[in-house]
Amino acid sequence: MPKRLRFAIGAGLIVAAIGYLIVTAVRNTAEYYLTVNEVKVRQGELAGQMLRVAGRVAPGSIAWNPVTLTLSFGLAQPPAADQPGVKPVAINVTGATVFHVICRGQPKPDMFAANRDVIVEGSLAADGTIEARQVLTSCPSKYVPKQPAQTQ
Amino acid sequence: MPLIGQLALALALVLAAYSIIANVIGARASIPSLTGSARHALWAMCAMVTVAVGALWTSLLHSDFSLEYVASYTSFSLPTVYKITALWGGQQGSLLFWTWLLTIFTSIVAFQNRRRNSEIAPYALAVLAGLAIFFLGMLNFVTRPFDLLAVVPSDGQDLNPLLQNYWMAIHPPSLYTGYVSASVPFAFGVGALIAGRLDDSWIRSTRRWAIFSWFFLTLGNLFGARWAYEVLGWGGYWAWDPVENAAFMPWLVMTAYLHSVMIQERKDMLKVWNLVLIGMAFGLTLFGTFITRSGVISSVHSFTQSGLGPYFLTFLITIVVLYTGLLLSRVKQLRTPAEFESYLSREAAFLFNNLVLVGIAFAVFWGTLFPVLSEAVRGVKITVGPPFFDKVNAPLALALIFLMGVGPLIAWRRSSFDSLAKTFASPAIFGVTTGIFAFVAGLREWYVLTALSLAAFVLGTIVVEFRRGVTARRHMVSESVPVAIVNLIGKNNRRYGGYVIHIGVVLAFTGIVASAFFKTEVKQSVKQGDSFQVGPYDLEYLGIDTSETPHLESIRARVEVRKNGKPIAMMEPAKLFYKRLQQPATAVAIRSTPASDLYVVLAGIDDQSGLATFQVFLTPLVFWLWAGGLIMALGTVIVMWPNVRERAVIAAAVRASAPFEDDAEIVPGGD
Repeated sequence: MPKRLRFAIGAGLIVAAIGYLIVTAVRNTAEYYLTVNEVKVRQGELAGQMLRVAGRVAPGSIAWNPVTLTLSFGLAQPPAADQPGVKPVAINVTGATVFHVICRGQPKPDMFAANRDVIVEGSLAADGTIEARQVLTSCPSKYVPKQPAQTQ
Repeated sequence: MPLIGQLALALALVLAAYSIIANVIGARASIPSLTGSARHALWAMCAMVTVAVGALWTSLLHSDFSLEYVASYTSFSLPTVYKITALWGGQQGSLLFWTWLLTIFTSIVAFQNRRRNSEIAPYALAVLAGLAIFFLGMLNFVTRPFDLLAVVPSDGQDLNPLLQNYWMAIHPPSLYTGYVSASVPFAFGVGALIAGRLDDSWIRSTRRWAIFSWFFLTLGNLFGARWAYEVLGWGGYWAWDPVENAAFMPWLVMTAYLHSVMIQERKDMLKVWNLVLIGMAFGLTLFGTFITRSGVISSVHSFTQSGLGPYFLTFLITIVVLYTGLLLSRVKQLRTPAEFESYLSREAAFLFNNLVLVGIAFAVFWGTLFPVLSEAVRGVKITVGPPFFDKVNAPLALALIFLMGVGPLIAWRRSSFDSLAKTFASPAIFGVTTGIFAFVAGLREWYVLTALSLAAFVLGTIVVEFRRGVTARRHMVSESVPVAIVNLIGKNNRRYGGYVIHIGVVLAFTGIVASAFFKTEVKQSVKQGDSFQVGPYDLEYLGIDTSETPHLESIRARVEVRKNGKPIAMMEPAKLFYKRLQQPATAVAIRSTPASDLYVVLAGIDDQSGLATFQVFLTPLVFWLWAGGLIMALGTVIVMWPNVRERAVIAAAVRASAPFEDDAEIVPGGD
């Protein structure tokens, strides 16, 4: 066998192995990443599955127990005008779809507050409660909205 | 000040445009005075950008809130050091900082090559000036750092509390330096392709730049991880967030590049591959900037995006298309007769190391882009989280560590089983013994056992190499062992510096594996005076201290740590409250020892019952991640250190105005 071919086969095997690793890992770890409205639409089929849901913390819904580290709040769909790429506008969440989220055993994230955008990682129960494993808050990092005060 | 800065940026843009034209025409028509003039234009461009940076820094320090940028990212009460670091704390400033680094590096390159590389350098400088045009264009027309506010506010918005941290003072500059300096070897690669100088002169001329870039990418990733560890308060340091991945991918590809260029320098192989790698490394630096600023992929670190995404994407695609076209047009001339002889050779080990590194980079890329891809193909966003990256990368990391032990010691061209057995017998025995010891000590996870064995194997090979070198030296001159080791490194800094880097990698890898597998977590609510147990430690909650400065309020819990009844430390996890932003922040307390880190978070205080709730992590060996990272940096400094022999060679090369020839010890290991 020519040496070039032999090496092509060896390299091909490595590439195939890496590809196989990626494919199986995707199959085992993939989670839906949905907005609140999308979850609402497909609520029946999603029950019991691990999800990532992007939404906004509904004002007046936050309950925090610092002893048991239990955080519960309503997760609402952000207004359409306020999608990524557009500068944040001060619109409060009103009358939108709301899921009840409970997160147990985690400290309340520093950035967590009413009207903040969050990603909730957890599973959806049949009654529409999201049992969260983790609540990720926006860490505005370097690219803070121009007027962060407006979103409070 | 704002006017001066704005004007300087406009002038810099004009100068960059001029230097491209002058460089290209000067190189085509061989007019040295024109390329000389282009060089002066580049220096003037750098001076102009420096003026702009000075203007913005002055405004930041004087809290001139008539500037939108100053008002958005600082406040009166912000400590001075963070007023300085606010230069890269926001969008426009960080782009200006990036541009500044780019023009500084461009000027240095212009200076270094004023009398050499007359074929490639003008094109390379034109490429660098082209990059500068893009960034200066953004700064002049799209995201202007010197925009004024119609109404001057009485105080600014303040810097995000997460960024008010010393790691954030050094992490972005390190990472940016690594990103930006990667464009130098890339520019020389393009220059070589355009000029048709397809030997390895472009690689040799930019070897130091590539290592310099790798050095800062390493530190940038390390500092970023350390920042996450100390500031984010979840007990870990890496979450495979898109922003982290964006910094990690160029590092991986740059690592592959630094290894595979050794094969080209020594064996004249892999020419196309090296050009592909440097193109990928550079493209990934732009891609990283694109995904952190575009919002295409949601990241916990950058929810709020800017409108820069489309510009970066267009720029990136343009570069990829042009570069691919250029490379394809030269591919015939890049073919070499040399080929791989045997799987049991150093060439093969390096090739596989490259495939694994690029494979990891690809897996990270795939996982990062997966939500976008799945939405495009299947119409639904699906994400893969940290478990995906862990699953894919864990076996690949083992392969990489194994190759790290084999690569530097195996013979070139082909090796026999006999010589392999001789070279690797003692390291292999050492590795297996370590594994058995770990098993007897009670470890049962096969991954950890394999990882420890391989780590020991690699350390064994490095010890063998050092012993061989020291023995050889002591045969020739009478030296004590420590002196011989120092001289060995000094005389062969590239080779032995490389080994030092490998030691650092092994230690960091061990720290990562141990902290991933054996981290324990305890959550406890306690009254003042009560204590609870975490591993071998007893933690007693002594009480709360509150304090206040004009900038922030803090609530500090005092926790006494005891081991076997003896007090060993006082830890003070805290909650901070930034007044200007009305924003709480968590300050973690960490007690780090080589054996394990005790990481205490004040998770909550209940005002009614007086109960304080603590979240405590006990993480073994994580110390070695940071130590290993610093050893990697130290090794890189050794590699970069100019040695006398090399300097003489450069001087000779300059005198003969021949392309830069390097010394013979380009590749670790001899034949």
